[in-house]
Amino acid sequence: MSYRKLLLPLVPIALFLVGWELTARFELINAALFSSPSRIWRDLVTLHTRGLPERSLLLTHIGASLWRVFIAALIGTIAGVIGGVLMGTNRYIRRFFDPVITVLMPIPGIAQAPLFIIWLGFGDPTIITVGAIATFFPIAYNTAAGVRSVDQQLVRAARTMGASWANTLISVYLPWAAGYVLSGLKLGWARCWRTVIAVEFIAAASWGLGFMIWDAAEYIRSGVVYGGILLLMLIYFAIEKALIGTIEARTIRRWGMVRT
Amino acid sequence: MSHAYSVAEFVLPFLIIAGLWELLVRAGAVTSPSFPAPSTILVKLWTLATGRGVLWKHLSESLYRLAVGYALSAGAGLLLGTLLAMQRTLREMFAPILSLLISVPTIAWVPVFLIILGLGDRTVIMAVFLGGFFAITYNTIRGIEMVDENHVRAARIMGASGPRLFAAVLLPGSLVSILTGLRLGIGYAWRALVGGEMLSAMISWGIGKMIYQARFWNDVVAMFVGLMIIGVSGLALDRGLLRWLERATIEKWGMLTEG
Repeated sequence: MSYRKLLLPLVPIALFLVGWELTARFELINAALFSSPSRIWRDLVTLHTRGLPERSLLLTHIGASLWRVFIAALIGTIAGVIGGVLMGTNRYIRRFFDPVITVLMPIPGIAQAPLFIIWLGFGDPTIITVGAIATFFPIAYNTAAGVRSVDQQLVRAARTMGASWANTLISVYLPWAAGYVLSGLKLGWARCWRTVIAVEFIAAASWGLGFMIWDAAEYIRSGVVYGGILLLMLIYFAIEKALIGTIEARTIRRWGMVRT
Repeated sequence: MSHAYSVAEFVLPFLIIAGLWELLVRAGAVTSPSFPAPSTILVKLWTLATGRGVLWKHLSESLYRLAVGYALSAGAGLLLGTLLAMQRTLREMFAPILSLLISVPTIAWVPVFLIILGLGDRTVIMAVFLGGFFAITYNTIRGIEMVDENHVRAARIMGASGPRLFAAVLLPGSLVSILTGLRLGIGYAWRALVGGEMLSAMISWGIGKMIYQARFWNDVVAMFVGLMIIGVSGLALDRGLLRWLERATIEKWGMLTEG
């Protein structure tokens, strides 16, 4: 990796941070509204240390969000793959649900949240449910597309050689559709993350990154608000590189399905 | 003829689901007030649409914010995208930052805007702007980057450079990608609109606001009406507006590889 590629992006970032800090210090901008890098850092550290030794508030917030994302993604992924396989293999199921998905998929999770708040109340049930729904759609959609695209000759060949439906599913459909499914997983999990945070804005009772940011905004604790956004960036970046990158490397790259 | 058929095919699943749902409610199998019958929802839709025309007020406010925010995002996105695509140094400086910013859910910026821009219209428009901006910028950059190098070289040899090169080679070549960006952008912008409206306390009209307020009255029916409208509007914006734009430009000019 060339130094140029690594260092160039840092230039505007560094300038921005320094400029921000200085304009805040010299009171050229309203520090209460805009905060400053040093205050953001201080606020985040305080949030972490204030509750110790019992618990770090910051880590509890982050943990609550990650937990919800995990459960929602789990449910949404399983439902999505099953739904996608059904839609991909059965023409009538697909033709029935295609329009439904087209209309429902774009509705943002946060808009569904008030409805679920009435049905399930505040807190985890609502957040996880809406998160799962958001995860479900892209995964089902992509899985269906992948399953549909399977070369039927291969399916027939496998069946001729005596494979059961289950076996065919595992040894023909799944590897073929793997690329599509992984695309769907990437989209679905990204959506899960975004939706959980968004729904936490209005449906979380006491914990969660979304709750932390929203609560801080209500009290105009801008340091925590900006800090929260920074954490969102970092966590997402870490998850993308670590989790999804690893999965891709282990599966579709190793199997030679994608140009490395 | 086939167009009418595909419209019917599209609507049929909804009719079947609505029909089943209605039957379940009428038969008494579903009695909870949180699961209103489709007929109740439609009646509410009618009441809101006619009567004092409350629905139109909500919808027009939302569309106004969407229009302003989207127009700004398209303008800024196309400009910045072009700039970054043409200037390598700038691109290497700012593209990673762009990637980093995209990773933040648009809605997460709303609290920041609420603090800086206040609780009203401006925050919502800003959210809409962000929603559309990233998709449009990204696709513009990609589109221009992906223009066939040979075309660019040929044009340069023939003496074109700068604006001329742009207008004659880069712009047409990247149009498909730019239009995709615009299409994705309107989808994201619409969703950002709804989210932003739900979080802005000092606005009184808007579809998102309508759904949010309905919670305080436990008005599940109004929520369903709102959700229906969001779904249908999103569809209309994408299929209607932007498909039309696509047809008028890239399809007419034969730029798409299929169809």
